[in-house]
Amino acid sequence: MLKDLFVPNAKPRPSVFLTMVACQVLFLLLLWLFYPLQLFPTLGEVLASFKDLVTTQGLIQELWASLTTALGALAIATVLALLISYLTALPFFRPIAYAASKMRYLTLTGLTFFMALMLSSGHQVKLSVLVFGATVYLVTGMTSVILTTTQEEMDHARTLGMSEWRSFYEVVVLGKLDEMLEVVRQNFAIIWTMITLVETLYQSEGGIGLLLYKQNRYLHLAGVVAIQLVILGTGALQDYVFAFLRRMFFPYSELTVAK
Amino acid sequence: MADHLYKEPILTLRDISMQFGGEVILRDISLDVLNVVRPGVSQGQVVGFYGRSGIGKSVLCRIIAGLLPPSTGTVLVADPQRPVCPGDVGFVQQRYPLFNHRTLLDNLLVAAGRKHSPADAKAKAEEFLTRFDLAPHRRKYPAMLSGGQRQRAAIAQQLLCSEHLIILDEPFSGLDIAMIDEVKKIILEVTTLDELNTVVIVSHDLATTTALSDTLWLLGPERDAAGQLLPGATISKKHQYNVADMGLAWQPGIQAKPAFVQLIEHLKDEIRKA
Ligand SMILES: Nc1ncnc2c1ncn2[C@@H]1O[C@H](COP(=O)(O)OP(=O)(O)OP(=O)(O)O)[C@@H](O)[C@H]1O
Ligand SMILES: [Mg+2]
Repeated sequence: MLKDLFVPNAKPRPSVFLTMVACQVLFLLLLWLFYPLQLFPTLGEVLASFKDLVTTQGLIQELWASLTTALGALAIATVLALLISYLTALPFFRPIAYAASKMRYLTLTGLTFFMALMLSSGHQVKLSVLVFGATVYLVTGMTSVILTTTQEEMDHARTLGMSEWRSFYEVVVLGKLDEMLEVVRQNFAIIWTMITLVETLYQSEGGIGLLLYKQNRYLHLAGVVAIQLVILGTGALQDYVFAFLRRMFFPYSELTVAK
Repeated sequence: MADHLYKEPILTLRDISMQFGGEVILRDISLDVLNVVRPGVSQGQVVGFYGRSGIGKSVLCRIIAGLLPPSTGTVLVADPQRPVCPGDVGFVQQRYPLFNHRTLLDNLLVAAGRKHSPADAKAKAEEFLTRFDLAPHRRKYPAMLSGGQRQRAAIAQQLLCSEHLIILDEPFSGLDIAMIDEVKKIILEVTTLDELNTVVIVSHDLATTTALSDTLWLLGPERDAAGQLLPGATISKKHQYNVADMGLAWQPGIQAKPAFVQLIEHLKDEIRKA
């Protein structure tokens, strides 16, 4: 039982595994509680600061504002990225996907500057920066998923009398939708790193990034840690929701994975 | 023997050769499959296609199916004869691909929908599920099926939507005896359903396949007059056997006849020589 935990590829019982995880977390917390690092705030300080953030500074509302912006940007970016990657079927559009994926290397600050010149409202700038940033990462992931299509898969569709477009739709669009969702899940994190930055540049709408920025500025280390933990928790929850959606809509997608 | 005669061409290969990056795989292959007519039966055509592993059988199949343009030559199908397009020829590939994102039933339905109305497609798909012993697995995804089940599903899928020509790349490997019988029965059924139906069977199982066939192709390397091995494999005139003219086609229990046993031994020798 316990030794299962140290056997390669072993499948410990769920109860054993969960207990193990709980012990590991507890151990970390205890370590934090009893061996405080010099600069790093203690557990108690972080908790107090968390309470303060929630009650007086509207942490929950700010988190909600950021989350909705992030989700909105993700939705737009996903649609855009899917379009750009699917269009790679046509040679004419391939350079666009290639260029889009290389724009990952553009720096956010320069980009924000340009967007600010072109757009009037802060909200638009914020959203378009997020959408742009997420799209270029999504296109990279999605085109690489499309490139995993094999000759055999395409030939199979063709021998069934499907036209080129229909074959593409069946094999690449329908057949790889589950992997596209996975790409979206993996790249959601990028939006979170960007959003905290963008919110500090356009402070009118608040958001958790701005909150974090203020804590930083006034050297409230405990507050910084508390907010980071909240973001971490949100991210973990998001991942969980995505995994759930994937299991629900694409029950076939994990059948061949080693268990 | 006048018990059969030949009419219009069904499948024609003209001077097919194939190279991959300078490596010659196939050379100068010309073949004709003619509509064989027997009085009183609507008799389709069955071609047994043999050759050593790695010689180029699957490559030639992909060329015939219109999936791979040959380096030179043309493949003609249909009546009147015209160059082949993908979808003209049903092709069960060697690894039995299915749509992994669709259930077994959905896989069959999407194929049946090509030729039938939705209601008919449903009935046809159900019929094949029962025939191939797949009915209890209709809701399973391909990843949950056994190798043999996948294979039967892939064959059923092609049968549901093919026109007259269908290629089976190793249809007997991995099946148990009862299922081999079932696939044999289905090939017989398909080829007696319509005068023009034609099945090409790629196989290493000489006895089973020859018993079904009226024509055999043997793909192998060839030597020139000086005895030098030529690059690439071909199907020479000598290696195109007309089993019907030998009087060994369309007979149940043929496998026990001495002439048939002799033919199999001869084929084995020819393949070994290659
Ligand atoms: N796309 C390709 N590029 C380069 N070489 C190829 C390609 N496809 C096939 N070949 C080569 O062509 C040869 C014939 O392959 P093929 O798959 O037709 O063999 P086969 O006769 O079907 O063998 P088996 O009985 O093992 O299935 C092999 O040597 C293979 O490496
Ligand atoms: Mg092969």
